[in-house]
Amino acid sequence: MAPDSSLSLDRILQEITTTSNLGNLNHTLKTGLPKESRETILSSALVSGQDPLSVLDLRQNTLGVLYILSARLLATNAPVAPQIVIGFCQSFLPEQARMAPDRVTLLARGIIRLAQQHNNMTWAIAPLYNLLTRYPPDPSYLTAFHHLFLQACLTANSPAAALPILNHPIANVSTAVSDLTYNDNLMYHYLGGVVLALLKRWPEAEEYFEICVTAPGAVPAALQFEALKKLRLVQLISRGEVSPLPRYAHSTLSRLLKNSIYTDFINAYPQNIQRLHALLDKEKQTFSSDKNLGLLMQAVERAPRWTLKKLTATYVTLGLGDIARVVGGMQTEDEVRALILSMIETGDISAQISASGTVTFSDPPPQFTKDEVDSVLYSAQAQSAQLELLELEVARSKDFISKAIKNQDSGWSAHPDEEMYNMSNAWAEEAMFS
Amino acid sequence: MDVDIPEEQTAQSSTHHVRKHNIIPVDDQHPFDLDGYISNYSGRTAVDRLIHIISTCPTLAPDAFQLAVQHIHQSRDPSLYQQVMSAYEAGSALSETPLPSAMELSQIDTRWADETMAKNQAERSKLEVELKTYSNNMIKESIRMGHRDLGSFYRSVSEYATALKHYAKSREFCTTSQHVLEMCLSVLELLIEQRNFSHLPTYVFKADAALDAASAAAANAKEADGTAPAPAPTLLNKRKAVSEDRERVQSKLDFATALSSLANGSYQKAAYTFLKLGPAKDFGDWMGKLVAPGDIAIYGVLCALATLPRSALKSQILENSTFGVYVEQEPYVRELVEAYLSSNFKTVLELLNRYSSRHALDVYLAPHVNALTNMIRNWAVVLYFQPFASIRLDRMSGAFGWSVEEVEEQVVTLIQAGSIQGRVDSQNKILYAKQTDHRAELFARAIKAAKDIQATNRKVLLRMRLQQADLTIKAPKGYNSSIVDLLHE
Repeated sequence: MAPDSSLSLDRILQEITTTSNLGNLNHTLKTGLPKESRETILSSALVSGQDPLSVLDLRQNTLGVLYILSARLLATNAPVAPQIVIGFCQSFLPEQARMAPDRVTLLARGIIRLAQQHNNMTWAIAPLYNLLTRYPPDPSYLTAFHHLFLQACLTANSPAAALPILNHPIANVSTAVSDLTYNDNLMYHYLGGVVLALLKRWPEAEEYFEICVTAPGAVPAALQFEALKKLRLVQLISRGEVSPLPRYAHSTLSRLLKNSIYTDFINAYPQNIQRLHALLDKEKQTFSSDKNLGLLMQAVERAPRWTLKKLTATYVTLGLGDIARVVGGMQTEDEVRALILSMIETGDISAQISASGTVTFSDPPPQFTKDEVDSVLYSAQAQSAQLELLELEVARSKDFISKAIKNQDSGWSAHPDEEMYNMSNAWAEEAMFS
Repeated sequence: MDVDIPEEQTAQSSTHHVRKHNIIPVDDQHPFDLDGYISNYSGRTAVDRLIHIISTCPTLAPDAFQLAVQHIHQSRDPSLYQQVMSAYEAGSALSETPLPSAMELSQIDTRWADETMAKNQAERSKLEVELKTYSNNMIKESIRMGHRDLGSFYRSVSEYATALKHYAKSREFCTTSQHVLEMCLSVLELLIEQRNFSHLPTYVFKADAALDAASAAAANAKEADGTAPAPAPTLLNKRKAVSEDRERVQSKLDFATALSSLANGSYQKAAYTFLKLGPAKDFGDWMGKLVAPGDIAIYGVLCALATLPRSALKSQILENSTFGVYVEQEPYVRELVEAYLSSNFKTVLELLNRYSSRHALDVYLAPHVNALTNMIRNWAVVLYFQPFASIRLDRMSGAFGWSVEEVEEQVVTLIQAGSIQGRVDSQNKILYAKQTDHRAELFARAIKAAKDIQATNRKVLLRMRLQQADLTIKAPKGYNSSIVDLLHE
């Protein structure tokens, strides 16, 4: 215990309970303590031996509790009762907590650590979830502990628990709300993609992987390459083909992928079943060390579907035997029949199988209800309103205005295309005046 | 004017290899009149064409061999005999029935060969000495002519690389654009003879520029003449002469362009260029020395049938009097076009099949016959199906003279390539045109577009926010950027 009374926990506790100026309090807690001993002081007990957390009100003294709790969770010799953590996450005041974003991240890390100590990751999901839903101003903000939550869900083997969070796409990023690094964004979207792929929600998984792959940067990150591999596989599974990356994706990534075995796989997909199996066998080691074997198996399993789907564009009727011959990898007509039935069930194709084994394909025109169209229109309107708002925001931002003015200045003289024209104009004018 | 000589040599030798693959049948179903065909040509190209025939068609090889030897005796290049011999051996290797040995058929006149060799040697030394003298005297015009003569000489003894070198060298000593033009035309002639098509456009381009400059110069000269008290009528005549001259050169250049397009496989471009060629007399000595009028008709019509729409065929072939003259040379070509325009596809395919030997035995056309025939056939199938909503495959098989299986296979390939909007009823053998509900499709597309755009917007905005917050990926500390560059390569 530090001799100076101003640095003891009792003193701090007193300040926490009495002060009404939260800004000052945050300043004291952040800078008033010597750097080396701050965490030790914060995680110590009171002189009386009392647990400081039992004295403080978890709600009213959010900021103080946040500091103490995060310090104690990460300290080696200061146990915390899990109930207090749960209670705090349920009842803290977001406004106070937002004054110390770094401590919130620490708290989240502490929660993970605690769960690891107890070997019970499932426990961490609830407090982290509360933290995630209550801390950011709205669910579209990214925080530095988003990916911790996903990690907890994955480790606890309950990916479905992450869905409520993943259903809100990230649209806002603010370093004031959370002490973010680029890695937090990459990790969150990569793990999000993994979770969604686990749940077989292919289109959403594709979107999350794509966000990770296309994150801005001067150099590509290794994680982006991993995400790109998974993105391609997810596309194969959900659509049977790959679509080009957006132009703003880093070009090195696609080049890296081109030189990998994944390209061979994509090129052979879906017709060349033998080649796919051969690739799987040959490169099993690489695939499983990339942790993509599961996705690849699913892709191979679904390959006949895409071949069959292509046939529907060419044929109106086809015998089961013919289909088995064209699709490949199918031995008996029964297998083909089962495949077709399952595809009809999932709505991938519409077809009828007659008793004689003839399949008749049809493509009923897509139907839309009025509500569907309306909802699309509404969301389009909402989007355009949002974009308009954004445009106004950009137009009055300092950066934009200063750049626009600069361009205007230079526009008069330095535009190389216009220079000649301007000069000749100027001469003409001079001539006129003289 | 840099020319990659070693590459050309390998290219030339490789074409010799490629040409000896499949045997071209010549019989009653596939008539081919060797004597009539070869009488259209003279000099070097006749021998080249005969070599091609010898190496691909064993049936004609003995006759062609004798003809080739006759032609060689008229030329001044005994080394051609070697080529003919090896082609003949390759040809007889392909044949199932043994061919008479080359020695029995015709003997090369060794005395003639020796004499020619000696004469060639003498002429070469003479020309080289001349060139040296000119170079010493530094008379530009004479040096140019020296190079030109040496070029022609080497060409006649089929030392193409050296010939090209001399022609190219003469470029440096050209004083007027007329000379440049002359040089370009010689090189073009050489390249066509050598079947080195990739360089053709370069020289056509150069010749075009020279041609413009030359005619501009000629026009200027005339204006200068105009000040002199020359009688007006001669002046007019002269102007006319200049434009005729220009057209003649233009026709040659167009022919070179067309040939290079054909060689590149850009058949549509080739079709348009062939169809707008000037009359045969414009070609001067190129006719016969390089190409026959009948060839132009065949090349043009095949390319056109494969790529052009019907209206263009009608206006460009049947109503084109200049090209009509060429078509007269090969009457079956007109039949082909007429059958095609009257949708008589069975006749078209039969004619194509009947004359496939004629096409495959042509040096310039041979590599493209299959591609062109396939394209024409595909077009025919597409055109035939166009007016129908549904058609039985056996009717199609009747119209094209194929079996139902062949028709089905053909149609399925075309559907998968996206040329036919239709679907096949494989059980009842019926082809249906695809029916689309445009309204529903429009809705589906609009809704899909809306969703896509929204998703893209969201992603782009997030990216923008990340950039605003400066959360971009940075290279880790101590990260050597040269490693990245290495990785990139």
